[in-house]
Amino acid sequence: MAQRRKRGRKKSRAKKTQRRSFWLPILAMLAVFLTVYIAYLDFQVRQQFDGKRWSLPARVYARPLELYAGLPLTPDALDMELTSLHYQPVSSPRRPGEVSRNRNVFHLITRRFVYWDGEEASRDIRVNLSNGVIERVTHVASGKDASLVRLDPVLVGSFYPSHNEDRVLVKLEDVPPPLVNALIAVEDHGFYSHHGIAPLSIMRALWANIRAREVVQGGSTLTQQLVKNFFLSSERTLTRKVNEAIMALLLEWHYEKDEILEAYLNEVYLGQDGNRSIHGFGLASHFYFERPLSELSVDQFALLVGLVKGPSYYNPRTHPDRATRRRNFVLDVMVEQGVISRDEASRAKSRGLGVSRVMNKAIDTFPAFLDMVRRQLRRDYREEDITSEGLRIFTTLDPQVQWQFEKALDRRLGILERNHSMPGGTLEGAGVVTTIQGGEVLAVAGSRKPGFSGFNRALDANRQVGSVIKPAVYLTALEHPEHYTLATLLDDGPLTYTAPNRTTWSPNNYDRQFHGMTPLYLALANSYNVATARLGLDVGIKSVIATLHDLGIDQPLNAYPSLVLGAVELSPMQVTQMYQTIASGGFQTPLRAIRAVLAADGAPLQSYPLRVEASINPDAAYLVTTALRYASRVGTGRSLYQVLPSDMEIAGKTGTTDDMRDSWYAGYTGDRLAVVWVGRDDNKSSGLSGSSGALLVWRDLFARLGASGSLQSDVEGIEYFRIDPATGLRAEQGCENGVELPFIKGSEPVADAPCAKDGLPLQKPVDWFKELFQ
Amino acid sequence: MIPIPYSRIACLALFVIVSGTACTTATYHRTQSPVIDQSAPASERPAARGEVAPPGGYQEPPGVQVYPAPRQQPPAVVALLDHAEQQANNGDLPAAAMTLERAIRIDSRNPVLWHHLASVRLAEGDAIQAEQLAKKSNALAAGNYALQARNWDLIAEARRTRGDASGAQSAEQQKRALQTR
Repeated sequence: MAQRRKRGRKKSRAKKTQRRSFWLPILAMLAVFLTVYIAYLDFQVRQQFDGKRWSLPARVYARPLELYAGLPLTPDALDMELTSLHYQPVSSPRRPGEVSRNRNVFHLITRRFVYWDGEEASRDIRVNLSNGVIERVTHVASGKDASLVRLDPVLVGSFYPSHNEDRVLVKLEDVPPPLVNALIAVEDHGFYSHHGIAPLSIMRALWANIRAREVVQGGSTLTQQLVKNFFLSSERTLTRKVNEAIMALLLEWHYEKDEILEAYLNEVYLGQDGNRSIHGFGLASHFYFERPLSELSVDQFALLVGLVKGPSYYNPRTHPDRATRRRNFVLDVMVEQGVISRDEASRAKSRGLGVSRVMNKAIDTFPAFLDMVRRQLRRDYREEDITSEGLRIFTTLDPQVQWQFEKALDRRLGILERNHSMPGGTLEGAGVVTTIQGGEVLAVAGSRKPGFSGFNRALDANRQVGSVIKPAVYLTALEHPEHYTLATLLDDGPLTYTAPNRTTWSPNNYDRQFHGMTPLYLALANSYNVATARLGLDVGIKSVIATLHDLGIDQPLNAYPSLVLGAVELSPMQVTQMYQTIASGGFQTPLRAIRAVLAADGAPLQSYPLRVEASINPDAAYLVTTALRYASRVGTGRSLYQVLPSDMEIAGKTGTTDDMRDSWYAGYTGDRLAVVWVGRDDNKSSGLSGSSGALLVWRDLFARLGASGSLQSDVEGIEYFRIDPATGLRAEQGCENGVELPFIKGSEPVADAPCAKDGLPLQKPVDWFKELFQ
Repeated sequence: MIPIPYSRIACLALFVIVSGTACTTATYHRTQSPVIDQSAPASERPAARGEVAPPGGYQEPPGVQVYPAPRQQPPAVVALLDHAEQQANNGDLPAAAMTLERAIRIDSRNPVLWHHLASVRLAEGDAIQAEQLAKKSNALAAGNYALQARNWDLIAEARRTRGDASGAQSAEQQKRALQTR
C-alpha cells in the first residue's frame, strides 16, 4: 500500500487534473447513492405507513347477553357476566361500564357496541330480578320498560400471529384529549411545531447525558420514537440515530401531525405479558385496567403516559412505588403545561394505581371452544387472515355455561376418583353443550383441566359409544308406525345371531338377565341390549345406518350387527350432533360455534346463518324423546332425580362400553342439550357405567343451569292413549299400571287389555305419568 | 344488490302476516338498534291481524285466527319482529334474517318466527332453506291450521321457484286440506 502511494506521489503533479476528474464521479456516485438511499428510506416509510401498518389478531367474542323480561337469570349470574365484562361497581353509575347493585336490582350503564347487525347504543337501565328470572328492564331516565337490551360481549380470546403482536386499535378522535395532552406534555411538548426532529432537545439531552455519564434523558420527538418502534431495532448506534432522523423528517414531510400521532398511540410499546408484547394505548388500557381507554380517569392516563419511558422499569404491577412516582411526575408536568389544574392533580395523586390484579391473560380462557372456532374459520379463511387481519369473530359461547361445565366436570371426576380409589388424574372427560332448536354450541370441554389447550377430546377423541347409539335403532323402527309403536312388545329373551359367514353373535344385557316381553319404550328406557339387538336386526342394520346419517353422523359406518349396540367410535361432538337432530324434533341443524365474522373496520364478512333440514320424521322423533324421558324417570337415568327437581323435564340416554372403558351420557331439557364422556386416555377400564360416571357430571351441570321451557311441544300427528304396559293393549279403564303413551295417529292398538275388560274407570291418576303429560 | 321484487315479497309476507298493515316505505336507519320501548306500535298488532287480504290471492277463511291466543309473545320478541319488518321493508333482507334469528334464540319454539325466516329466505332466493324452515315452522305449529296453510303456501311457492311443479301442486293440496279444517 505504502509503496504504491509513493509511486503515485512521483506521478502526482502530472495527474492532478486527472485526479480531480477522478473524484468528481465518486462524489456524484455518493450523491446518487445518498439519493437512492433516502429514496429507499422514503419508500419504506411510506409503504409502512400507507399500507397495512399492523397485523391485528382476530378477536373472539362470546355471545352477548340479552336482557329482557322473562329471561331466566340469577342475580349472581348477571353479576358474574358484568364482572367478566369489567363493569366497575360504583354507588351511582354515571358513565358506560359502571354498575351499582342493590340485592336483586342492578343499575347499569351499558357500553356502546357495534354488532354484526348494527350498533347497540349505550343505555342507562335498571334490571330487576326475582326467582331466577328477569322481572323488568327499565330505562332509568324515562322509567319506561325496555323490552330488550344487549350487553357488550365478553372477549374470550384472540388469534395471534406467530410473533405474538397484539393490539387494540384506537382512532385519534376516540382517544380522550387528556391522554393526548399528557403524552405531548411529557414526551414532546414541541410536537405540533417541529419538523420531525428537535435539535435543541437533542443537544439538551446530550448535555444531560454527558454530565450524568449515562442515558438519563431522551431527546427524541414522538415522530422519532414512532420511527424507532416502527422500522428499526432498539440498538443505540450512530447509523441508527441518523436513519431515525432522516426517516422522522420524511414522515413529517409526507404526513399530517394527527396521522403521526394516531400511529404513535397505536404503536408505542407499553408492556409485556409473557411472550405477548403490549403495543399501543388501546391494548395497554385493557392490559392494566381491564377497561377501554374511554373509561379511564386522569390518574390512569398519567400512569400510561409515564410507562412510555420504560414499561418494565415502571411496571405498576411489579414496581408500584416507582410507577406511582412516575405517574405523579406526569401529573406535575400536566399542571405545568396547563393540561389540568393543581386541584385535579392532587386529587389524582391521592388515588391508588388502580391496576387490575389479575393480568389480562394472554392464553385463551376456553381453548377447546376456541379450537372449534378456529377449525370452522379455516374452512373460509387463510391462516394468516385469521391471525393478522383483525377479524372480529362473534361466537355462540355462553361463558356462564362454559364455566359451570368446566367446574362440574373437574369436581365430579375428582369425587369419582376418590370414591373409586383411583389416583387423582386417572379420569379424563369431555363434552359439549348446545341449544336445541338453533344448534348453537354454548360450551365445549376438551379436557377436565380448564384452560388446557392440548388434545381436544370433545372433537378428536373417537370412543366407542355403547348404548348412546340406541335411539337411532328405535327411531328407525318408530318411523314405521304400521309395525312399531312405543307399546309394541319386544322380545328380550336369549338371542343368537348367525352371520352369513357363519360367525355367531349372542348379545347380553348389562345385568346379565333376560327380561322377556317388554314394551318398546321400556326396552329403550332400561337400555336392554338383547331386545335392541333383535329390533335392530328386524329393521335392518343398513336402515339403522341410514338413520344415523340422517341424524348427522357423516362418517362411513360398517354394517356389523354389533353397531346397534354401539360398537362404533364417535367423538362427543358427533354424538351431540346426533342428539341435536332428535331433540329438535327431527330437524338437523349443523352445530355452529360462530354467528358472524366482521372485518376490522366493522364491515360484515361472513354470517353463519341458521340452517335446518327436515331429516327425521318429527312424529317418530317425538316418540323417541318420550321413551328417553322414561329413561330419566324410571330407567337407566333415574338417579338424575335424586338431585334435580322433579318438575325438570329431561330426556336422555346413558352409554357404557365393554369393560367400562367409556361412560357416556347424552341428555336434553327444553332448551339445552349436553353430551358428556368420561373415561381414560389409555382406554383402560374406568370402572364407570354411563349412569355412575358421565350422568353425574351432566346432573351437576344442570343442577346449576336449570332448565326452562317444556321439553316437547305439541305435534300434530300425535295422540295419547292409555296403555297396559304388560300387554301393550288399551287400558282406558281399570289396569292399575296403565300409562299414557303417545302414538302416531292411527297406530294405536285397538284391543283392550285383559285388565281393562271389566275394570272400573280409574278414580285418580296413579302415577307421575299423568302429571307429566298433562 | 337485492332485486326489488324479492324484497317486495318479503315486505308483503312480513307485513301481512305479522301486522296486517300495508307495505309502506318507512325510512329506517340500520345503525340503530330496535326501538325497544313497550309503547312501540308492535304491541298493538294483534287487533289488526287477519284483516287484510294476504298476497298471492290466498284468502283467509273468515273467523280463523292465525295465531293461537294463549301464546304470549314476549315483548322482546315483538320488538325484534317489528325491527325485522322494518329491515325487510328497506330491502335489507340479510339484516331482517339476522334479527329473526335473534328472536328465535329468545323464543325458539315460536312457529311464527320460523315462518318469517322462511319467507325472508324465499325472498332472498334460497328456496331450499325456505322450504325447510317452513316445515320447521309447521312442526311447531300444532293446532294452528292457518299458519300451517301459509307455510304450505310458501313451500308451494318455493317449489315453483325451483321448477318443481308437481311438488308445488302437492303442497297446494296440503294447504287446501288445511283450509277446510
